[in-house]
Amino acid sequence: MEFSLQARGEKIDMKNTSVRKRGLIFIAIGWALLIIGDRVDDLALSQGALVATYALAIASIILLTGYSGQLSLGHSALMAVGAYAAALSTNNLGLSPEIALVVAAFVTGLFGLILGFGVARLSGPYLAGTTLALAVSLPTIANQFAILGGEQGVAFDIGLPPARFGEEFSQYKWFFWICALAALIMIWLISNVLASRYGRIFRALRDNSVAASLSGINVGRLKVMAFALSAGVAGLAGGLLVMLISGVSPSAFPLSLSFSLLTGAVVTGVYNLKGVMLGGLILVAIPEIAESVVSRIGGSEGFTVALPGFLVSALLILAVVFTPNGPGHLLHKKKH
Amino acid sequence: MNQFVTAVLTSLSSGAIYALMSISLVLVWRSTRVVNFAQAGQAVLTTFIGYEVTVRSGSYWIGLIAAVISGAVVGAIIDRFFMRPIFKRVKSGPIVMIAPVVATLGLLGLIQAIIGFIWGFTYVSIEAPVSTDGYNLFGTVVAFSPFNLMVLVVVTIAMLLLTLLFQKTNVGLALRASAFSPEIARLSGIRVDAVRTLGWAIAGAAGGLAGMLYVPGSYLHPNAMDVLLVFGFIAAVIGGLDSLFGAVAGAMILGFAVNFATSYISYKLVFLTAFALLITVLLVKPNGVFSSSKGRKD
Amino acid sequence: MIRNTRMKRISFVSTVVVAGAMLLSTVPANAADPGVTATEIKLGITSPKTGTVALSYGKLPGAMKAYFDYINANGGVNGRKITLVSRDDKYLPQQAATQTRNLVLSDKVFAIVGALGTATHTKAYVAAQLAKNNVPDLFVNTGFSGFDDKTKYPTTFLVLPSYAMEAKIISKLIADTPTLKPMPSFLIAQDDEFGKDGVKGFALAGHKFSDTPILYPAGSLSAAIAEGALAKINAAVPSYAKPVMVLMGTTDSTALILKAAEKLSLTSKFTWIAGSVGGDANTLLALGVKAATIDGIYAASFFPDAKDTTDQYVSQFMKINEKYNKGVTFDNVVLQAMNSAMLTVQALRAAGKNLTRAGLMKAIEDKGSTFASAGLAPLNYSATSRVGYNGYWFGQLNATGELKPVGGKVTLYTTDSATATAPVLSTYTRKPIPKNGIPTN
Repeated sequence: MEFSLQARGEKIDMKNTSVRKRGLIFIAIGWALLIIGDRVDDLALSQGALVATYALAIASIILLTGYSGQLSLGHSALMAVGAYAAALSTNNLGLSPEIALVVAAFVTGLFGLILGFGVARLSGPYLAGTTLALAVSLPTIANQFAILGGEQGVAFDIGLPPARFGEEFSQYKWFFWICALAALIMIWLISNVLASRYGRIFRALRDNSVAASLSGINVGRLKVMAFALSAGVAGLAGGLLVMLISGVSPSAFPLSLSFSLLTGAVVTGVYNLKGVMLGGLILVAIPEIAESVVSRIGGSEGFTVALPGFLVSALLILAVVFTPNGPGHLLHKKKH
Repeated sequence: MNQFVTAVLTSLSSGAIYALMSISLVLVWRSTRVVNFAQAGQAVLTTFIGYEVTVRSGSYWIGLIAAVISGAVVGAIIDRFFMRPIFKRVKSGPIVMIAPVVATLGLLGLIQAIIGFIWGFTYVSIEAPVSTDGYNLFGTVVAFSPFNLMVLVVVTIAMLLLTLLFQKTNVGLALRASAFSPEIARLSGIRVDAVRTLGWAIAGAAGGLAGMLYVPGSYLHPNAMDVLLVFGFIAAVIGGLDSLFGAVAGAMILGFAVNFATSYISYKLVFLTAFALLITVLLVKPNGVFSSSKGRKD
Repeated sequence: MIRNTRMKRISFVSTVVVAGAMLLSTVPANAADPGVTATEIKLGITSPKTGTVALSYGKLPGAMKAYFDYINANGGVNGRKITLVSRDDKYLPQQAATQTRNLVLSDKVFAIVGALGTATHTKAYVAAQLAKNNVPDLFVNTGFSGFDDKTKYPTTFLVLPSYAMEAKIISKLIADTPTLKPMPSFLIAQDDEFGKDGVKGFALAGHKFSDTPILYPAGSLSAAIAEGALAKINAAVPSYAKPVMVLMGTTDSTALILKAAEKLSLTSKFTWIAGSVGGDANTLLALGVKAATIDGIYAASFFPDAKDTTDQYVSQFMKINEKYNKGVTFDNVVLQAMNSAMLTVQALRAAGKNLTRAGLMKAIEDKGSTFASAGLAPLNYSATSRVGYNGYWFGQLNATGELKPVGGKVTLYTTDSATATAPVLSTYTRKPIPKNGIPTN
């Protein structure tokens, strides 16, 4: 009790400066991306939009696993929930696409809240197993209810960029702006939460849940909260992803997506929110690199098809073996 | 009546197949407390080796032995040269829980890519050693063949033998002790690292067996056991990861649930039934149906 | 303080890295249509290279490329050589969208050919902005009738008859065959565009099945489900009946169902009608279905049988396959792929030396219906129609996997996807193959 009082007093000052500093950093990044967005071509913009979306999805994993210690293999399903929520909001409820994205985050957050209650008592592999089952089974719900469009799915059209931006403003640039902005805002919000008292509590929970509960933290409630927050972020990422491919269908969120996100999170450091952009970049870049390597050296059918998967897996293994705490840690260690 | 009988029989066959995978997963868990997602990849790899041997020797049984032996070897190699360095490097923090899981995921992808490099992605078949035509019961041919029976029998025997190993032998004790409390086991003279490798070898052998029993009813290709991995994992979790009997029982429960749901309700419910069953079980018993003690929290 | 610096540093580094990556890929825009130079035409295709669909369609890109290589070796098209860029989409919408976008923006192809799958291509079409960039989307490899909607897919040209057409013609087959008409009939289909479009077609034709069609989730059909379904149906029909069983799905699903029938000794209980994709005898045999089971299965095609070496198109394509696609067995998919490639070459030729995207599409609209092709059904391209082939003939497979026409002679029926009008007997005669398979239009 004493500790927290003192910490709170201390922190109020730090918190204000930190919030301001963080805000400035994010605004700076935002401006940088804006300027870059004007200078690059459509391909880079579409890739950039995908990077931002993946970065956001990875952030949701880091929030859950890195900060509250719960391992989830089911984030592809959570993204799917957000995606369907967004698509149905625009199609059936007639909401504007931007609002639909917010709805996606909230609906998925609510779903995560309920799910979190269910899995709060589960540990390690049991939680992993449940989220795995969720990841493979949730998309199949689409075949149960006609409104979800079955295998064909539901279309999601974010519409053209506003006319005032002019003719030159391509659809890809519009996507890039939306994704980058959404990702930036969301990650800024998350980092604020994590720097606050809650972040400290989450970390205590993660590091030693027994000690945490002994010091008065309601472990169960926090786990659920972490789940809900993580789900909300994942839902938003799902909505963005579906905007990029203009529609949602069950096969758009396969189990392999969950694994890819986990890969991205581990590679960039599952504790460190700041590396998510790098994680997203890696997820988008690796297949590209693999393709260009393959087209350069050729090879048998089996080789060319298997190479991208090989590279991603090898990267993941290297990351786990050499930088289990993320490359940030490596940098840190080097300095000292 | 026929629908019920068919559902029961197909449930038994499905359950036995899920049990093949869940046994391997529980074996690794019981001896090293790691969930080995790479199991699906290892099993397929060793089954391909079994396939090559079967094709060359003309005998399924020789291929089976080859698969089991290579499974043990591959399992041991993976533990010695892959998992052990990871455990050495990752000693503290919650990454301890995550790192092995993620590492095995990476390993799964790696093995599947290697299989793809060597054998390509086309589907191959292995012929069953016994008939796959259904038995003729009272004039109707039922959905249960000599091969289904063989799988069921092998699974049961494997479970019994392995349970005996774990519960009644010194080796089994060493395996359990090393997993449950490595420091204390080391203090009492057990060579924990070597014992761990043995655990992975046994699990790998079980995986090789699983693949050779699974493929004759399906096809062999790099991703052949992906779906089975999911079902096997769910089955293991339902039964409780700490018990081999639980692994088989959980697999049977899952098999019955899925097959009855698809037969009586809808064919689209395969995965949803699995999830519903899992979450129901875990809400009531967070450590699985057959978990005896509260056990460790992780 | 230290943590803040580190955080700042990492976020800064991340931004710089992202910025760097993006700036490095900046490329100036082109004025003319991309993908065409004085010496080269670049075409692009995305298809799955692994998985169950690849079982049926994995040979597609390679076979198309083989034909293009043959044409290149014989002067190309108006002096230009054709390059085919082939990307793997794993049959996933996300991948298809990304890869199609890569084809358009990175590889800068002139046109997309042979795109595969409905869930994949509907997303890829919009995500890659094919409509906005006026990228021709030629000869998509799917039977989904929705692609002929010009308002949604203005640059798309179908080639395969739709699954709805197929279903209508199957209905006619059943109605016209005295041994099949009075029997109960059942449908087991994939729960995606295959099955749904098929169900729609049966409804249009007015065909009533004896029970609700069984739609299984694509890709997750197991032996257990197949056995359960067959046992259930068998129990519901009288023992003297020989019901008709229609299967609409991929080859491995069809194989699973047939193998389940073998297990339950039900192979001769039913009259099997396999869909156009699932009825590929070679693949079925390779997947372990017994030859005796395949003997007698009805299957549909709009091509001559790939084993019919007396057919001029088949024998010519076989020669090309032998030389330019070594190691690949010639089968229905190779035939289909080479045929699409030949259509593509004729379209490119018809568009003239001054090759533009708009010109290419107009050429197909104007002249497409007169192109030489191996198909025994007519091509229906016009200013108002994007439909390719619109008919099927039915045959029965024999134990060696050949498709022999019902009644000894190929009788092809044509129909549409949207109305209840019954299929009509086609009087279309195929154009003879251009000399050596090299179009001269």
